[in-house]
Amino acid sequence: MSSSSSDLDNWISKLKECKLLDETQVRTLCLRAIDILVEESNVQTIYPPVTICGDIHGQFFDVLELFKVGGECPQKNYLFMGDFVDRGFYSVETFLLLLALKVRYPDRIFLIRGNHESRQITQVYGFYDECLRKYGTLNVWRYCVEVFDYLSLAALVDGVVLGVHGGLSPSISTIDRVRSIDRKQEVPHEGPMCDLLWSDPEEMSGWGLSPRGAGYLFGGDICKHFNYINGLGFIARAHQLVMEGYKWMFDSQLVTVWSAPNYCYRCGNIASVLELDDQLKCDFKVFTAAPHELHHVEMRKITPSYFL
Amino acid sequence: MTESSEDLYPIAVLIDELKNDDIVIRLNSLRRLTIIAKALGPERTREELIPFLSESTEDEDEALTVLAEELGNFVPVVGGVKFAFHLLPPLESLATVEETVVREKAVESLCKIAEQMDGGALELHYIPLVTRLAKTEWFTARVSSCGLFAVAYEKSSDEVKQELRVGFNELCKDETPMVRRAAAQQLGKYAEKLEKERLMTEVMTIFAELCEDDQDSVRLLAVGTCSALAKLLGKEGSTSKILPAVQKFSSDKSWRVRYMVAQQVNELCDVIGKEITMAELVTVYVNLLKDNEAEVRVAAAQKAGDFCGFVGGALTLTEILPCLKELSNDTSQHVRAAIAIAVMVIAPIFDDGNEIETNLLPIILTLLRDEFPDVRLNIIRNLEQVSKIIGIQLLQKNLLPAIVALAEDRHWRVRLAIINYFPLLARQLGIFSFNDILGKLCIQWLEDSVATIRTAAAQNLKNLAEDFGSDWVQEFVLPKMLDKLQHPHFLLRMTIMEAVGAMATVVSSEILQTMLLPELMKFNKDKVPNVRFHACRLMKDVIPCVDPAIVSSTIKPWLADMQDDVDHDVRFFAREAEMTIRG
Repeated sequence: MSSSSSDLDNWISKLKECKLLDETQVRTLCLRAIDILVEESNVQTIYPPVTICGDIHGQFFDVLELFKVGGECPQKNYLFMGDFVDRGFYSVETFLLLLALKVRYPDRIFLIRGNHESRQITQVYGFYDECLRKYGTLNVWRYCVEVFDYLSLAALVDGVVLGVHGGLSPSISTIDRVRSIDRKQEVPHEGPMCDLLWSDPEEMSGWGLSPRGAGYLFGGDICKHFNYINGLGFIARAHQLVMEGYKWMFDSQLVTVWSAPNYCYRCGNIASVLELDDQLKCDFKVFTAAPHELHHVEMRKITPSYFL
Repeated sequence: MTESSEDLYPIAVLIDELKNDDIVIRLNSLRRLTIIAKALGPERTREELIPFLSESTEDEDEALTVLAEELGNFVPVVGGVKFAFHLLPPLESLATVEETVVREKAVESLCKIAEQMDGGALELHYIPLVTRLAKTEWFTARVSSCGLFAVAYEKSSDEVKQELRVGFNELCKDETPMVRRAAAQQLGKYAEKLEKERLMTEVMTIFAELCEDDQDSVRLLAVGTCSALAKLLGKEGSTSKILPAVQKFSSDKSWRVRYMVAQQVNELCDVIGKEITMAELVTVYVNLLKDNEAEVRVAAAQKAGDFCGFVGGALTLTEILPCLKELSNDTSQHVRAAIAIAVMVIAPIFDDGNEIETNLLPIILTLLRDEFPDVRLNIIRNLEQVSKIIGIQLLQKNLLPAIVALAEDRHWRVRLAIINYFPLLARQLGIFSFNDILGKLCIQWLEDSVATIRTAAAQNLKNLAEDFGSDWVQEFVLPKMLDKLQHPHFLLRMTIMEAVGAMATVVSSEILQTMLLPELMKFNKDKVPNVRFHACRLMKDVIPCVDPAIVSSTIKPWLADMQDDVDHDVRFFAREAEMTIRG
């Protein structure tokens, strides 16, 4: 591939201004991302220090705020636990920025898959329409959903903190079981891969049916048992809005991290990221939505590329 | 197959796609209409494409918008201006559809085409179209027609001009408010084209009627034309015709109308002049500041800078400042935020520090303690304006305690604004009064929980080092920092390192080479890769300031060593830094 790190640096600064890359650039970026992601394990190994982030849902200016509060990449290492797209107004810019950072600094930023990184879900919740509106064609959407299939399913920080988008699955008792999944596919409607991306913790014991229609509810006993067997300190996951930005459950065996402030531009919640330092000490950085005046982005007009 | 039909093949596909069931494909094809037309040539465009397009006005709004826009650029492809009339029928029917966006585009394109047509062609083709639209039963067409009058007026014969004026007058009295609204909106543009002598008579009659409209949405737009009309009328005319209307509108029962008055107050001042503003408009302005509706108060407050500048210090002091003072305790945070800017921007009007101390300072201090962060932020961002005038004594006595309190504000943007204000503050206070409390803050910010603040803190130390010099760095800053360079938390190590790197480029080469450089070079052993490569990045900026002999004896081997690091990014940034030595 012919794009160098200075190309990438240009793309990154362009994306940081909330400007779109053109279709061929997106294609190049996505292909290079796949080259990198295909080498990563289902359970990606990460070394601290690392900052763990939850859902961001296309809230581009809030992601910039996140980096302002938490520190820019690559000075800080990041793990984003999925749901980069849908709902917010800038899913394309948000996902491409994170992807460009991933390609530029593969060892500094890690992206794992959320339930919204799927062909079916993005057609309903906005990413599909956004690509169509901003580019006039669906090619960018196609390149991006192709990348989704290569994203890792979980990340393991120093062997003791498991990062996953949703939660546990009744068909997964050890982390090794996750390693044996063939992840390069659209998110299935059931089974272990689906559960990792869809399940929620619940103050109860045992397993329960999820009101979401996919994944399961899992109780404190299940979580503690899983952590004990796998030698985990705790599980960090995202997937559910928490008004205070983060929420510990099950005697600090699990924490939900939420990184989309004022979710959908109206929930009024604050957001957080979890900073694990080089000693694995936890520190939550909370932040609120980026100030309004930053949002005045000109409506873009996309000129079609001619056919001849 | 002949060559020309091969050339036409893509065009045939595009024409086919104009009829495709998928809207996306139709849109794509529509956006390339000019290309299709060029390929077809002017004659076939007129005789085949245009009739086809005229029949396609039943499509979805998105497609119609594109069509309306494209047709505006079609004059060259139908064979030039003399054939431009062929474009009018499809645009006419687009100007009657339900969707506003489509109609607006159609009107825009119609005006664009009419501008190019000469008087004869206008009279033959365009004027009848305007008249037809203006008399159509369904109101959407009449709304569209309002925007079509101005462009044709100048080029028309007296007879047609008369006709146009009658037509526009009727639209202003239309029974449907939507049409009157459109007419009110176009009044400014229309008036611009009319003969000067008709301004005072006909236009002002229309204006007066629209001002009396029982729909507030119509009155609102009438106010909107005030400044445009005032500019046309000049000082005399505005004073006799526009000023009374504005005075009346400023106590309109609808707040949206009053809001529009607030928006236009400064343009009006410019036209009617200082004398009449002072006599008449100040009362209007004060009433707007005291309005019941917060939106109106905000809009009025935002105009304070220019307005007060216009009327001068004396009137500001007696009439306007008391209002602003009251508003600094307003229940709406948005009003208070607007007042915070207002009091700062009007400060330079007073050339006397005493006046500021007794009148402005109390308001500023209240606002600095406001519970809403935007209010505090607006004050800090504009502190420079005030501190320049009030002098160091007052600054130290009154503002400094408040600023110090804000240095630990909960909101990081407030803290950031304070940091950015520091170099200026330091210059005014001088090195001695600075070191104490403020110096401590500068070091404390390096440990802030927000990354942006830590970076700004490092930059701040660099700026201060530029002003206060190397000795200050050596005596005051370094002792407080160097022991933290090996702090157990990697973030702190990294920030201190950043500060060291930033200062390295401005201190004396002696301090750099004996104190800072050795510290910076210790980071090659740090266990966190981010720290190691950040040291390389900083080294890149430091290298130009170091004696070349030292660069090659110490930095070069150090970077070479870093290029064998286990981490990919460390190797990358070490290599990049090394390039600066070679280059």
